[in-house]
Amino acid sequence: MLTAAGRRVRAAIAVVVLVLAAAGTLWGQDDHFPFAPFRMFATRTSPQGEVSVVQLRGQLAGSEPEVTLSMGSFGLRRAEVEGQLDRLTRPGRLGALVQAREAIRGDLPRLAALRLVQVRYVLRDGRQVGQREVTLAQWRR
Amino acid sequence: MKWLFAPQPRGRIAALRTIAYLFIPVDVLLTTSWVAKHADVPGSLYRPLYVGRLLHLPAPGPVSVRLVMALLLGCAFAAATGRLPRLLGAAVAVLYAWWMVVAMSYGKVDHDRFAFLVLLAVLPTVGPARQGDGTEDESSGWALRCIQLAVVATYFLAAVAKFRFGGFDWATGATLSRAILRRGTFASRPLLSVRWLLVAMQFAMIGFELASPLLLRGGRVTKRFVLFLYAFHAASFVGIGIVFLPHLVALLAFVPLERGAAIVAARLRPWRRTFGPFAQSPAAVHNRS
Repeated sequence: MLTAAGRRVRAAIAVVVLVLAAAGTLWGQDDHFPFAPFRMFATRTSPQGEVSVVQLRGQLAGSEPEVTLSMGSFGLRRAEVEGQLDRLTRPGRLGALVQAREAIRGDLPRLAALRLVQVRYVLRDGRQVGQREVTLAQWRR
Repeated sequence: MKWLFAPQPRGRIAALRTIAYLFIPVDVLLTTSWVAKHADVPGSLYRPLYVGRLLHLPAPGPVSVRLVMALLLGCAFAAATGRLPRLLGAAVAVLYAWWMVVAMSYGKVDHDRFAFLVLLAVLPTVGPARQGDGTEDESSGWALRCIQLAVVATYFLAAVAKFRFGGFDWATGATLSRAILRRGTFASRPLLSVRWLLVAMQFAMIGFELASPLLLRGGRVTKRFVLFLYAFHAASFVGIGIVFLPHLVALLAFVPLERGAAIVAARLRPWRRTFGPFAQSPAAVHNRS
């Protein structure tokens, strides 16, 4: 059996947490985690719009062709790179990713060049009808 | 008020402790091992959350991230034994919350952790609990109700967020097409050409998210809803490779785990009698009877 005081404290905590969660979804931003809005897949993609995906493509030292690199080797998830595009596209900022990769995967061949690319799928009535690519930032050793 | 404290079995707390605390090493080392990689990401890409700024948490670095990880794993394994449930449980809750700040401070915040964080926070409020114990009490009732409410909030507020960020016409959009184009699998790519089905699925998603308070009704409704949710999350994993594992652990608060534990214990008993540390020789058993 809980005491009356124990019950009051527990009830108050439950109400406060629920109110914060609801307020976070109604007015909050991601910044307010763990009371951030529950916004996974919450944005609407227009059936006549575009779907974009970022990729990191690099040229390894001593080899010509450019290859698509795994985001994990840079210590970030793809969604994290996409969430920081405003920073990563500022001049000179891509170098921070190269630095991370060398710290995390020192066993991999070093990069001679890196390109942050956005692949954009063009939709019509929700179906993909085309595809284009935009280079958002570039880095060279 | 009464409903918030309606007695629920203490054995379910014991089972949830074992499962949740053993899930943490899986989460940290295997299923979301990307968190630890933030240790080596330069500070220029660190985007501290409000809570990190409020508490003046240091920017994650190679030493601090590994230290938090080691402490979290150590405490989780210790807590999984069921010993010192309040102390070790509280330590795990604080360390895991810190781990989440490390996870979410690099430009992407996930929403599959809320109910699991609530679970870790409330488990230590209940004292020692025995596996398979069907005795119902108020403190277990409150803790389980909080986890259940957090699970419901996750679904219900996800629908609210869709209205806020996507608009009331979210369901007629191409969000699932986007998800499949970005992270589809062999199972989901064929759906891209069946647009009406994707739109129907979007309506269904909003529908079950808004209906999620029904989970709290109990009885057959809860049972079927929980089964449906596990199937939904399994299908999402097959279709787009995303599965909210911590949330699925919290969803177990609706499942009569204490009965499962009792069955396992009953099955193990003859084995323990024969092979366990206090095994008796067949002759001794015979003599006693």
